[in-house]
Amino acid sequence: MTTTVTGPSGLTHRHSDPDRTAHRPRGSWAPYLFISPFYLLYVLFMLIPVGVSLWLSLTEWVGLGTPQWVGLRNYRLLATDISFHRALGNTAVFVLVAVCVIVPLALLIAQALNAKGLRARDLWRTAYFVPIVVSPILVALVFGLIFDRQFGLANAVLKALFGTGGVDWLGDPTLARVSIALVMLWRWTGYLTVFFLAGLQNVPRELYEAAAIDGAGRLRTFTTVTLPALKPVTAFVVVTSFICAAQIFEEPYLLTGGGPAESTLSVTMFIYRAAFQRQQFGYAAAAAVVLFVLVFGLSRLCNRLLGIGRATS
Amino acid sequence: MTRARLPLYGVLVLLFLGFLAPLLWALSGSFKPRGEIFGYPPELVPDPFTLDNYRTLLTEQPFGRWFLMSTVVAVVATTVSVFVCALAGYGFAKFRFAGKRLLFNVMFSSLSIPFAVILVPLFVILVKTGLGSPWFALIVPWVAPAFGIFMMQQYIVQSIPDSVLEAARIDGASEFGIFRTIVLPLLRPSLGALAVWQFLQSYNSFLWPLVLVSDSSQYTLPLGLQTLFVSEQRQYDLVLAGAVLAVLPAVALFVLLRKQLLEGLSTGAVKG
Repeated sequence: MTTTVTGPSGLTHRHSDPDRTAHRPRGSWAPYLFISPFYLLYVLFMLIPVGVSLWLSLTEWVGLGTPQWVGLRNYRLLATDISFHRALGNTAVFVLVAVCVIVPLALLIAQALNAKGLRARDLWRTAYFVPIVVSPILVALVFGLIFDRQFGLANAVLKALFGTGGVDWLGDPTLARVSIALVMLWRWTGYLTVFFLAGLQNVPRELYEAAAIDGAGRLRTFTTVTLPALKPVTAFVVVTSFICAAQIFEEPYLLTGGGPAESTLSVTMFIYRAAFQRQQFGYAAAAAVVLFVLVFGLSRLCNRLLGIGRATS
Repeated sequence: MTRARLPLYGVLVLLFLGFLAPLLWALSGSFKPRGEIFGYPPELVPDPFTLDNYRTLLTEQPFGRWFLMSTVVAVVATTVSVFVCALAGYGFAKFRFAGKRLLFNVMFSSLSIPFAVILVPLFVILVKTGLGSPWFALIVPWVAPAFGIFMMQQYIVQSIPDSVLEAARIDGASEFGIFRTIVLPLLRPSLGALAVWQFLQSYNSFLWPLVLVSDSSQYTLPLGLQTLFVSEQRQYDLVLAGAVLAVLPAVALFVLLRKQLLEGLSTGAVKG
């Protein structure tokens, strides 16, 4: 309850509770002042909207006049709405791509970038990261042209290699999903690589040396030393990419418009369409509440299982 | 350990091309007349080389206004959010107080709320309360990012020793005085990283402006380019030129501050 006194050597005693070293001023209102701007904005622009969303989801409203109370009807309609089922299914596919394809790929690239004595590490790292900083419009435009059936680069390359072209990348339901997945891969892999690379550089060298002495090969070193050491980073990256993929909007909206036949419609697109193209604000709010429950519940569960986001550092 | 490094470099170069080729192709296409953009095989060096796309874009489209809108909004949002994050990050890193764990968890769990959840109510609230003006409303989603607070908190715990703060307290400095004169200067590199990240988030945002802005004179860059993109004539040549111009500030910021940004981004994740 008192502040830790730093000894003459500059060393503090290490307690199991790192909070011990934190300062507790007398008349301790200072910390509350420091965190208050965030909580003010948080209440105004996050908590209240979530509450309003809950309330709106129980009404029918076209954006004008007064919302009509309809109880759980929106949820009953969602339960039988085939479009919403598609949106949930497609979003689940994008989440699986992110977690099961992009995350492992990012880990492999990070492993390559972490090779000892690698030249131009900064250049590679920068180049792979750049896609995340470019505007989604540019991404959609460029990939729209690449996947174009007539003029696209993808088909031109196929033709040159295999003599067949004319693949309808964005017009076929399965291929459209593949195209979106490829764009996600291109945009996000380098971003996630950064986290893994930082994690790899924090693995104590002694562990690798010990593994080498034990005569472990490269694969065994990777599975017995690297992977366990990367657990916290992996947890963070998995949860982050899950949350990002669960709210995917730009890629399908700009590249395929959710088509063909709603095969790339995401939940966020469904919400956008219901509210701002069809004026069904209550219905959109209900879909948003479902998304909230799914994403919030699953990611909190992941956090609990994987143990990240502890208040103490 | 000497090993043949050729395969490794081969893979890295292939990835390099894979990640950058689409962007280089866009860059080169922006200097080509419309008919040439789709030429096959794709020419990396534009021939004939023309600046017409840029000229047309800057003279016939309100590109300057879009750019101004995007930049002003991003700068304001960034300034506010960096300040909010530094304050809260410091509060969580260096103080003990009643309810700290709960408050931290509340903050941290807001990372798990998708923006789409608050999209509709936020729009309704801002429009109904007359705060729907783009100048104000466009910055709202970016002003209190939990990720930024988490990043700051981690960085402060690792890099600012308690003894420095204690010494200042013994000298009778006020809590906010300590923050302003000691903490903020020490935080400069990570504040830079956070600022770049926040700037890019706002500058590239698409869904929120799409919902909010209906008046074409207040379009942000992504919205403005989208109108060219979906227009009847499909003005690919102009969109490419506009996209290249729009991406320049983002890429320049990133390349200049990449070291701090890439390290700052991973601060929270590694120790997490």
